[in-house]
Amino acid sequence: MRILGLVIVILCGSILIYHTSDFPDWGHPASPASTHVSPYYIEKALDDTAVPNIVTAVLADYRGYDTMFETTVIFCAGIACFFLLRITRRMEPSVTLYRHLPTGITLRIEKGGKEPDDSNIFKRIDTQWVPYDLIINTTCRMVIPFIQLFALYVISHGHHSPGGGFQGGVILGASVILFAISTDLRTAISRMSERLGAFLSATGVFIYAGAGALCLVLGANFLDYSALAPVLNVNSVMARSHGILIVEIGVGLAVMAVMIWIYYNLSSAGRHDEGL
Amino acid sequence: MSEHFPALVIIVPLISAFLISATGWLNKRLCFPIAVFSLTVSLFASIGVLMMVLENGTVQYRLGGWAPPWGIEYRIDHLNSLVLVVISAVAVLNIVTTHKPVQQDFSGKEGPFYALYVLFVTGLSGIVVTGDAFNLYVLLEIASLTGYALIGLGKDRAALSSLNYLIMGTIGASFYLLGIGYIYLVTGSLNIADIANLLPDIYDSGVVLFAFIFCMIGLFIKMAFFPLHAWLPNAYSYAQSSAVSLIAPLTTKVMIYVMIRVTLYLFTPQFSFVFLNISKPMVWLSVLAIVMGSLFALSQKSLKKMLTYIIVAEVGYMVGGLWLGNRQGITGSILHIVNDAAMTLCLFLAAGNILYMLKSDSFEDMKGLFVKMPFTMAAFTAGALSIIGVPPFCGFFSKWYLISGGIAAGEFGFVGALIFSSLVNVVLFFRVIEIGYYEPFTNHPNAHQKDEETLFNEAPRDMLVPLLMAAILLLALGIFTGHIVTAIIQFAIPTGII
Repeated sequence: MRILGLVIVILCGSILIYHTSDFPDWGHPASPASTHVSPYYIEKALDDTAVPNIVTAVLADYRGYDTMFETTVIFCAGIACFFLLRITRRMEPSVTLYRHLPTGITLRIEKGGKEPDDSNIFKRIDTQWVPYDLIINTTCRMVIPFIQLFALYVISHGHHSPGGGFQGGVILGASVILFAISTDLRTAISRMSERLGAFLSATGVFIYAGAGALCLVLGANFLDYSALAPVLNVNSVMARSHGILIVEIGVGLAVMAVMIWIYYNLSSAGRHDEGL
Repeated sequence: MSEHFPALVIIVPLISAFLISATGWLNKRLCFPIAVFSLTVSLFASIGVLMMVLENGTVQYRLGGWAPPWGIEYRIDHLNSLVLVVISAVAVLNIVTTHKPVQQDFSGKEGPFYALYVLFVTGLSGIVVTGDAFNLYVLLEIASLTGYALIGLGKDRAALSSLNYLIMGTIGASFYLLGIGYIYLVTGSLNIADIANLLPDIYDSGVVLFAFIFCMIGLFIKMAFFPLHAWLPNAYSYAQSSAVSLIAPLTTKVMIYVMIRVTLYLFTPQFSFVFLNISKPMVWLSVLAIVMGSLFALSQKSLKKMLTYIIVAEVGYMVGGLWLGNRQGITGSILHIVNDAAMTLCLFLAAGNILYMLKSDSFEDMKGLFVKMPFTMAAFTAGALSIIGVPPFCGFFSKWYLISGGIAAGEFGFVGALIFSSLVNVVLFFRVIEIGYYEPFTNHPNAHQKDEETLFNEAPRDMLVPLLMAAILLLALGIFTGHIVTAIIQFAIPTGII
């Protein structure tokens, strides 16, 4: 069976490679891909949308409807992970560990034992993985603000340079995940709760679809940002540029929140108590 | 406002999905009304679109206000407006019926369940309305992802079968995407109507041939066309029945629609039927699908498993009908999308009601069911008669078109397979009906009392009413077949086909 599969794969692969000889040459200026639709984007994107980055203009405006659903795909992934993995029933662990912060001594408390009061002296730690590394902690604490600042730059500067909501959102999400890894899952959840993540992911996509629906309410077609001109108090071309920024912010929020949400569910197998 | 109906069909459920997932954290009881409301609005909008199409022909809607080859457009003709109404109607009927089982099966997770439910319907409607080949892929992803999630949270081996489905489904979607990529390579366009205009000059290019093969293989995996059906039976039988009664009637049918759209409108009949000249082998493949699906169905011991194999056989009907390449065959294929969605919905809802009351769907436990659940079994019998093809139920008429198409094309193997499958369905369903009607149920604790009052154990009213509506719909679709064909389907087939 395995050999049969291998033979089929090799056969299909060789047919595929053989047929690439019919392809138009790579990057050839006369190939259909660069003569049919693309010239319009290259010539008109700046006049139509006031966005110098053609990729952003195509992504968020000409084909903005696709991008809205790409963001929805990410939202679906987040909500599907939650739906499948999250265990809402609370399970009491048999052993809990606490660290006495001033001395660094670890307390092991069996089931039924008295737990220390909630204070700054005792801190609950994971049973399986108990790192306390001053270097990692401090470095991450110093780096995270800059990562987040860079993420905001990537989101807001998508009009002029490579970047945009997806990339910026991923960087933002990664900064929170880095925080969760450098401390532990409970600390990260106490900073950014699961509920907040769920709300932000829905809000992010809602901003995108809502901006489109607002255009519809204002009398234009769905996602026709030029209708936002009277609301934003600019001309219709600048309104498209601003509209793109609005949806990019929505994308950034959704991507960030979904990444964190998926991380919470995957790292603790849906329990949200102990994990990486 | 009416010019925005095409957009409302998609946007109202889409936005409400985000609302549902947010309100799920605040008040779980609000999720269901929001979902029902949005799906109902979507149903009315899709009926509005159908009326517009019947009045003025093809409706176009430019998203973002950009003209077609550069922007994305909805292009709604008689074919997709019909399928659109089917999707919205099935979604509304099913969500009302499964309200109680959902509370039981997904307790505590109603919020994400309804969000996924509504997104699934949005994805399928989006696939149907769009006039852009790549946009179709994006929405296919939404419908698939939400489908995997809804199937994955089931009993015993649901997660494993959902993973199998995920792997197969992703391979299928990748094949479709590869095909679209090849087409973009040689035409530079993603708009279906635009591609259809550009393709005739390059029919003999190997790239176009491979694009066609990739699209077809991808869609065959997605629609569970034998022998690529292996993911379907387990995925559908292990999942919770409240999720399956949504997914089973719609997924395969929408994929059949995409196949019809791709062969007739993207590649044009000239290329698919005349230039490629593969109609005969395709029809024989569908004969194989029908025969094997029916045979597998015969060997099953539980109701849901049996129904899933019947779906595999029905996919064969529709693929074969299209590849007959004549007007009757394609009419039968399109009509069967509508009828099969209604029949599958009716049967799966009935199976869901039986499961809800009995907690089991093996044939053993169905003894005496006509006494316990007479109304559910009446609806089940209606669905069964329709699948078998007994007039005046709708299944008869699409089968009639398919058979007359087969005779006109001289494909007697296909005609034979259809008749064989009908006979197998007779055996299948009469076995169930016989067990339910004639066999005494000795293992029931109250059996010796022979007291109708204690034996009568029908499903709750709000699960029963939509089920009976679905059963009546089967009759109505059958009686109005003539109107559906003359008013809608005959315009849905390109004029070149006779």
